[in-house]
Amino acid sequence: MSNHPILSVSKLVKTFGKKPAVNAVDFTIQEGEFIGLLGANGAGKTTIIKSVAGLIKPTSGSILYYDKNFESHLKESKKLIGVVPQNSNLDRDLTAYENLYLHTLLHNIPVKEREAKIATALEFAELSEYRNKQVKTFSGGMKRRLVIVRALIHDPKIIFLDEPTVGLDPQIRRNLWNLILKINQVKKTAILLTTHYIEEAEKLCSRVMVIDHGDIIMDNTPEKLKHGLGRFVLEIYNEDGITETYFDSQEAALIEQGNCQSESKIRNIALEDVIIQLTGRRVNA
Amino acid sequence: MLNGVQAVLYREINVFRKKAKKQILASSLSPLLFLIAFGWGFGDRVAVNGLPYILFLIPGLITMSSLNQSYSIAQEINISRFYFHVFDEFLIAPISHIEIVFGEVLYGLFKASISVFLIFGYAFLFGVDLRISGLFFLVILMHSFLFSLLAMTVSMLIKDHGSQAQVNTFVITPMIFLCGTFFPVDKLPAFFKVIVHCLPLTYSTQVIRASLTGGEINFAYIGIMLIFMCTFFLTALYAVKKVEA
Repeated sequence: MSNHPILSVSKLVKTFGKKPAVNAVDFTIQEGEFIGLLGANGAGKTTIIKSVAGLIKPTSGSILYYDKNFESHLKESKKLIGVVPQNSNLDRDLTAYENLYLHTLLHNIPVKEREAKIATALEFAELSEYRNKQVKTFSGGMKRRLVIVRALIHDPKIIFLDEPTVGLDPQIRRNLWNLILKINQVKKTAILLTTHYIEEAEKLCSRVMVIDHGDIIMDNTPEKLKHGLGRFVLEIYNEDGITETYFDSQEAALIEQGNCQSESKIRNIALEDVIIQLTGRRVNA
Repeated sequence: MLNGVQAVLYREINVFRKKAKKQILASSLSPLLFLIAFGWGFGDRVAVNGLPYILFLIPGLITMSSLNQSYSIAQEINISRFYFHVFDEFLIAPISHIEIVFGEVLYGLFKASISVFLIFGYAFLFGVDLRISGLFFLVILMHSFLFSLLAMTVSMLIKDHGSQAQVNTFVITPMIFLCGTFFPVDKLPAFFKVIVHCLPLTYSTQVIRASLTGGEINFAYIGIMLIFMCTFFLTALYAVKKVEA
């Protein structure tokens, strides 16, 4: 990973009417980075994605792609980005090939390169045999794979994945993780992934930003985020519910457990524990 | 600049191609019913403005049908915006708003041209002799362009599917019936005359009818159509920009 920011966001604010959705957030994304944007529903994840993708205009703040202002270098900047929206925006009446061909036209890919790029994309998504099938006949997982590789056809430097696995069953979700990791590792494309599946962020991302009520309240690697709280959790089950206590060592947790009269359990700390501590709510609530 | 126009057209034409039979059949039915009901009903027994009624009616049907088809892109854009989110793909892509507007409007022209040729076919079947000239193609082009631009504006400004239906009910349908499609506007009461002269269809109907029946062309009306076209072009551009606000 090189130390060169593709995207620099500074003091980004977006309000809808009088309601603030994003409050003066700052972050940068380096080339090849894989960042998770984690937060509960309505925390502001999609608003950030829509703002940096040019789907909505921020109320204030600056968005720079390679130090160039997004607003004043719109076409140039949009060539650098690929977007996988939360709701599939594939054209269900068109075939897989036609959907990808449309994307090559929108991104002005030279005529002689189009067919090869479409074939590679279909192969990458393992959809070559469905090339001429209408998208409306595809399963949820196939649509997701297609929409992801479509975002890659013009070789973007960064892709925004907005809840790419939401609503998919665990098996398909894991297949998609492999595809997304392959994009990051093989193509070296930077990724900003929004999710409310903590497991997903923990598994895939090298850095996680936690957003709550429009503010980025934490930005670090999953490991550092977790270990800021401790390494082990002692869960004590009592009449009022579960009490959680954090420890740096298993020995300390075991000593505490020995002093405990109620039923209890020791487990490794998870990113979810950090999120609950930070936001006071579960992100997948 | 052309790749954006080409992309939007590629999408729209390919979706149309898959539903072409149904769409053409649906768009051919209503003018045929009007022709049977009014054309055969009154035939050449009734004269309007010195023309047999069927000769008066057919240019009106061409105007109505091409309006319906060019304006119908509003409904399609509406569906692609609110239901399938396909329109977002255009907004995310490195293409300008003008390219999106032109792509959609050219699709509107394409749909309108199909309806025009369908009614030419009906005119032939009903034995109506039309004087098709270069001027006719110019004004029908302007007329379809104008209403495609209006469709683009409306589809971008409305907030949901229901609002689209309201615009159709309260603006488009009354306009079709009152602006000279089925009877001359000079037969309307004074109050309605003022209203219909604020609507673009009154001018395009008159010019299209004159160009097909050998009547006198009012060039001021072509100028007014041009003003409407420019206005709707600016409103369409503004409306696309507003979607991103």
